[in-house]
Amino acid sequence: MATTTLTRPGIGRLRPPKPPALLEAELPGGLRSVFVRHRPLPLVELRLAFPLAPAQIVKPAATNILCRSLFAGTEAHDRLALAEAIESLGGNLDAHLNDDRLVVVGSVLSEHLPTFLGLLAEVLTTAVYPEGEVRADRDRAADEIVLALSQPEVVAQQALRRRMFAGHPYATPLPSPGSLKRVNAAELRALHPALLYPAAAHLVLVGDLQVPRALGAAEDAFGGWLGQRGGQDSELAPAGAPRPGPLELVARPGSVQSNVRFGGEAASLADPNWPAMSLAGSVLGGMFTSRVTANLRERNGYSYSPRSSVRHRRAGSSVVLAADVASAVTSATVIEILYELGRLATTGITDDELELARRHAVGRFSFETATLPGLATTLASLAANGVSLGYLSGYPKAVISTTKDQVNEAAGRYLSPRRLVTVIVGDPEAVGGPLSVIDEVVVRNT
Amino acid sequence: MPSRRQRHRFERAVLPNGLKVLVVPDPADALVGVAVVYNVGWRSEPEGRTGFAHLFEHMMFQGSAHVGKVEHIRLVESAGGVMNGHTRADLTAYYEGLPPSALELALFLEADRMGQLAITEENLRNQVDVVKEEILVNVVNRPYGDFPWITLPELAFDRYPNAHNGYGDFSHLERATVAESEDFYSTYYVPANAVLTVVGACRPDDVFSLAERYFGPVPRRPAPNHGPWPEPRLSAERHRVVKDSRIPQPAFAIGYRTVDPIGDLGHYVVYHVLAEVLAGGESSRLTARLVHRDHSVTEVACLLGTFGNDDFLVRDPSLLQVIVFHPGSATTEALLQAIDEEIGRLASDGPTKAELGRIVASSSADVWRSLDSTLNRAHMVASVETIHGDAGLIDELAARISAVGAADVAAAATDLLGQYRAVLELQPVPG
Repeated sequence: MATTTLTRPGIGRLRPPKPPALLEAELPGGLRSVFVRHRPLPLVELRLAFPLAPAQIVKPAATNILCRSLFAGTEAHDRLALAEAIESLGGNLDAHLNDDRLVVVGSVLSEHLPTFLGLLAEVLTTAVYPEGEVRADRDRAADEIVLALSQPEVVAQQALRRRMFAGHPYATPLPSPGSLKRVNAAELRALHPALLYPAAAHLVLVGDLQVPRALGAAEDAFGGWLGQRGGQDSELAPAGAPRPGPLELVARPGSVQSNVRFGGEAASLADPNWPAMSLAGSVLGGMFTSRVTANLRERNGYSYSPRSSVRHRRAGSSVVLAADVASAVTSATVIEILYELGRLATTGITDDELELARRHAVGRFSFETATLPGLATTLASLAANGVSLGYLSGYPKAVISTTKDQVNEAAGRYLSPRRLVTVIVGDPEAVGGPLSVIDEVVVRNT
Repeated sequence: MPSRRQRHRFERAVLPNGLKVLVVPDPADALVGVAVVYNVGWRSEPEGRTGFAHLFEHMMFQGSAHVGKVEHIRLVESAGGVMNGHTRADLTAYYEGLPPSALELALFLEADRMGQLAITEENLRNQVDVVKEEILVNVVNRPYGDFPWITLPELAFDRYPNAHNGYGDFSHLERATVAESEDFYSTYYVPANAVLTVVGACRPDDVFSLAERYFGPVPRRPAPNHGPWPEPRLSAERHRVVKDSRIPQPAFAIGYRTVDPIGDLGHYVVYHVLAEVLAGGESSRLTARLVHRDHSVTEVACLLGTFGNDDFLVRDPSLLQVIVFHPGSATTEALLQAIDEEIGRLASDGPTKAELGRIVASSSADVWRSLDSTLNRAHMVASVETIHGDAGLIDELAARISAVGAADVAAAATDLLGQYRAVLELQPVPG
């Protein structure tokens, strides 16, 4: 085989992404909005986010059904006619629950934006929640929850949330099939105006649009809704850090793998420690070239995709380190993770790791905010977390100027083994014994 | 501002060693996407070595003459880039998205592993372990994990290339050797069997000269056979019931045969429209009937292709799949009959004009959505060029879908009703 004599090219300059030009505006009724003309695809992406009150977070059955039945019919369209109208615009429109908010997610061919906004406004002002449709939606929701809970990663997520946020609304599990089947149409009709009102909401429109025209189209379309008054206290107590305690083993008899999860508190988006913490998380498990991936995947072959990630919520962000591993290497994996956490928190990172993590963070942010849905989701998340949109330019700059000492301090503060709690979903017969050699183990049934 | 609503600009060159180079510049893009797609997928892997094509994909990240184990990924990440790879029935794709200043690095990395891959026993054993964990997490430990992408082709096809499990049996993966890997590499990973695509923030002339510099020295070798492996349609209906203690609810998938996706593309597009009419959105026939009217089904989907999202990236034979999850309040027989009724209505009356209009709008919006990410655009362009020989299909697709008429869809529906199908049924049983 021929050998080349070419030298390896350099990795190029590190340049923060150019933030898009955006317009923030408060529409009548207090609807906070942001409009971005971005990229020449003939599409517009929409987000409309509503904060959930604590009482709605702890009773997720009604909000879950509302997300479905919101589109089950208006005064002018039944469910099928509404779906046909949206699809004829090349559009889609759904509502999702996202930790502590309800988000309407939409996308449409840009030429049809005004009509699309009109349909959304119609839903917001005249959704009727027909009895028969609500009954069908709640039965289907119950079936889907049963399907979701058969997936071990969902069981692991639920268990970790319960463990990390004990006593806080964020600990609330997915609604049970029984609770979903008890939701009725009258409840949804009462919940709708209490939750979906303009003063608490954030609207994001990103894509092939003329900003002044889109703003005008939004004002025209939402006119009637913007006059609606709601009012609920959506204040949430801070979630705080999890209390240390024994390793929790969630029994899934017969499981051939264990879902290992370490979870803890993370710096919030607005916290000055966040850029340093994000870099510490990258070095630990947030990139492919991270310590945990090198150890668990490339050195030991224990896990296909070990990873750490951060989730931001308005009353408490969290970091999760996850590895799905064969039962036989479960306790070995816990030991390796504890080792990597302890090593990072006590001996810190190298100059090479700092440079790699900075460049990776800036690059990943560029890619995350380069697509229409990516940028729209980022903007909606910033707004919902009360963070200035200056973050789009501020975060990459802050990452570039973050020092090794700051990363090491953040690692010690957020990622030391003492700060994290451990939940494992697996077969107790196979993994319980070996795990109890390394830690106190509490077994829970799901 | 230039607009991607206009047709893409496709600039092509072929190097003397046979490597096709395709550049799709876009001055509006701040990022550059690089993809190398090899014209080999799991349909080409040897008998007794199921899963080999995908295992080999992992080996492509384990080092080459000038790049150490996993160093490829470290360099891309330190350039502020993102990357991945995937293996499908008929292709294997490798791709990076980067700031434009790292384009040359990406071409160097792809050329080094195309020309001089370094396969070691230690790395192969490590990646066999990693792939086994991947299969455990995605299939063995995940309810419905192999449904229907592994199990439906096993039932619907007879020839080994089409019917076997592309993720692989553990016993086959464990027996994979370095010599087999080198043989697979020298047969399939040759320039004449690959397409290099660069999209986004780049100038075609720069790309061509960099491609020549880095890929030019890779020796020319003959292009291998890449199929297709056609097989006759079924001569009797097949119905397989699988009892599974891990699943909470029954499900089934129907596999209908389509026409040749490449040789009869004009006709194949009709099956795409038919799939959309049947279960493309909330207003589609099967969703409206089974989910929203009869309340007998939790979820229904209709897909073209053998994997799921490979409708225009698969060679003959392909499938039209109807996939149903349901709570068991209706029998499988009753649901199959309801599906037959809906297909029958389409066969006799065709879709309405309004239905076809919605599909034109939603399909063209979907094409745009799939081109949004620079990274996805890179591998999509390279994949279409690999399978169809012309990535220009991406720009033509909306017009081809618009040209489909009600009578065409009715004829395709008639074809589904008139053929023997494969039905794979999952039934929950107590653990």
